[in-house]
Amino acid sequence: MRKAIGAFLAIALVAGVAVVAHRPGPAGAQGGGTIEAAVTYAGAPMVEKLKVNKDTEKCGTEAVIEKVVVGANKGLANAVVSVPGAKGAAKAVKATVDQHGCKFVPHVTAMTPGELELKNSDDILHNIHTYSTANPSINKAQPKFKKVMTEKLEKPEIVKLTCDVHSWMLGWVAVMPNPFFGVTDANGSAKIENVPPGKYTLEAWHETLGKQTKDVEVKAGQTTKVAIEMKK
Amino acid sequence: MLIVLALVAVPSWVGAQAGDAGAGKAVYERRCAGCHGDKGDGKGPAAELLSPRPRDFTTGIYKIRTTANKVPSDQDLFRTITEGMAGTSMPSWAVLPERDRWNLVAYIKTFAAEKFKEAPKKLELPKEVASSAESIKRGKEMFEAIECHKCHGAEGRADGPSRAELKDEWGYPIAPANLTKWWNFRGGSSRADIATRLANGILGTPMPTFLDSVEKPDDIWHLTNYILSLGPESPQYATLVTVTAVSDAIPDDPNAALWTKLVANRISLMGQVIVDPRNFNPAIDLVSVRAAYNDREIAFHLTWDDPTQSVDEPAKKLYTDAIALQFPPQIAAGTERPYFLMGDASDAVYLLRWESGKGVMEATANGPTKIVAIAGAEATGKAVYANGQYRLVIKRPLVSKDPTRPTFRPAVFTPVAFQAWDGGAGETGPRMSLTSWYYLRLEEPQSNRRFVIPPVVAILTVAVMLLVVRAANKRA
Repeated sequence: MRKAIGAFLAIALVAGVAVVAHRPGPAGAQGGGTIEAAVTYAGAPMVEKLKVNKDTEKCGTEAVIEKVVVGANKGLANAVVSVPGAKGAAKAVKATVDQHGCKFVPHVTAMTPGELELKNSDDILHNIHTYSTANPSINKAQPKFKKVMTEKLEKPEIVKLTCDVHSWMLGWVAVMPNPFFGVTDANGSAKIENVPPGKYTLEAWHETLGKQTKDVEVKAGQTTKVAIEMKK
Repeated sequence: MLIVLALVAVPSWVGAQAGDAGAGKAVYERRCAGCHGDKGDGKGPAAELLSPRPRDFTTGIYKIRTTANKVPSDQDLFRTITEGMAGTSMPSWAVLPERDRWNLVAYIKTFAAEKFKEAPKKLELPKEVASSAESIKRGKEMFEAIECHKCHGAEGRADGPSRAELKDEWGYPIAPANLTKWWNFRGGSSRADIATRLANGILGTPMPTFLDSVEKPDDIWHLTNYILSLGPESPQYATLVTVTAVSDAIPDDPNAALWTKLVANRISLMGQVIVDPRNFNPAIDLVSVRAAYNDREIAFHLTWDDPTQSVDEPAKKLYTDAIALQFPPQIAAGTERPYFLMGDASDAVYLLRWESGKGVMEATANGPTKIVAIAGAEATGKAVYANGQYRLVIKRPLVSKDPTRPTFRPAVFTPVAFQAWDGGAGETGPRMSLTSWYYLRLEEPQSNRRFVIPPVVAILTVAVMLLVVRAANKRA
């Protein structure tokens, strides 16, 4: 009996390992490589300012619309770097966007198809008004007493978020086909981990500067550094 | 009996008829393409002149739906074609045979065939709550909690702080609805229509859905009841402006108690489309007129909605707000009157005109661009502005000293016309809203004779009767 259980466990273990081994780029596994992307932009930052005529205790008196944010060493923030060609586990990456200080925080977020959580921590009315083509557009009021709403974005595309009450509010949700993506930080860097080894075309998207691509080879257990320069 | 009940219970949209898109195309090209364009993209030759713009059918985005998803039902489209869109350039097409209208529905859908592959799902509203003082009170609470005022204004006159920022999904400026004028509501003004708009939002516009964004489902109905309480039950357009005789001094203050006691004569205004530049989208469609006179002066109290208080900034296409009352310079017997559009070269009109930042003036006009102030003006006025509404009192002596201005006399039918400009909407000069001639009548003063004559008549009658009785008794 004990032997039988032992044999069964052994088979189960082998089968399990086999299943894991067959899944490309398992979470936390040594099989995948890492991409460290450095996105740069040589041009000047683009910032628009607007005088606020309402809700100033929450929104402040001046709205700053950051169309292009450039940090140290020309690093471009808020760019979505992704590996569209990678075939990966259907690992869901959820996203949460907060409406805070009459801004969408984060300004750019990325997720895999599924649910998007929308928070309203401002204690005033906002309305989530999305612009999309593949997903049904959303225009839902989120009054002060409705702190959290969950919406579905099931098709990959880049969705624009707006609020009609505060017309300067602008945000982006990148719905990506696979979990291999990152959004650049203030210094323009983004890290994509556990990418299955292979040759890919890396894509960088920015709301104002559009798209750039670069070929990249990912090797198991290694970090590949890629520099992408965005142009107007 | 059951059959009859079943027929009545069938929702109206089940009555939709399958139209013939091919036949609809012919009707479309003759009736609709001028605004909506041959390709259905909302870019017909007249589109530039219209605000709001004609619908772009290629997107499949429709404002008026009774459906829970984005696709309107055939019945929704049929109703919009049949009833038109109140307050816009889209007229009612009830003149077309019903068959043609169903064919149009079928043809319009072909512009966004992909979108219409999805079957419409009927929107289920919460159970209806009848209007009551309590429901209206709860509606007001919810109106404030969900901040309807951000766009629609504190009293619903479309003057909210977000007004200027609003754009539709095509990027064109769009105005929030004035909730005090239910007769202009797009998609109808029945309680179910309003509740549906609240629950469902208006697609392609900033108006979001509120079905899941109120505290309790019932609130949709409380809000509906509150919104309907904001305006008059009926616009009750006046045909004759009555000027009430008063014996006391007439107050200058537009908020004085006297004005609330007088009947509001609601006058409907139209866009001026006779001379260039024409005004196809007039901003001011209604002015409420109250009027009083005493032995020395006559006063007009005018109330009208204007969502923005504007000053002259021609570079931004902004102008002063203005309103005018128009009279013939002399009130002659007979029906001969000057041309209603501010007179012409041969016959002038007399204007009592108020302009924001400038006050009241008396003027003679020989056409909309030929206005000359009268020297030694005697008219005065005071205006207040609050929550998207102007209230104005204009006063003038009853009797005129010169032939350029009329003398007002009791019981005489006096021609009067009105013009209004919303400078914030770019209205100035001939770009105005106006009326044709109406009549004004000063009510005859109520003298003390009415307290004297009836008792005298009564006493005399009794005396005569007594005489008759006495005479009869004597004879007997």
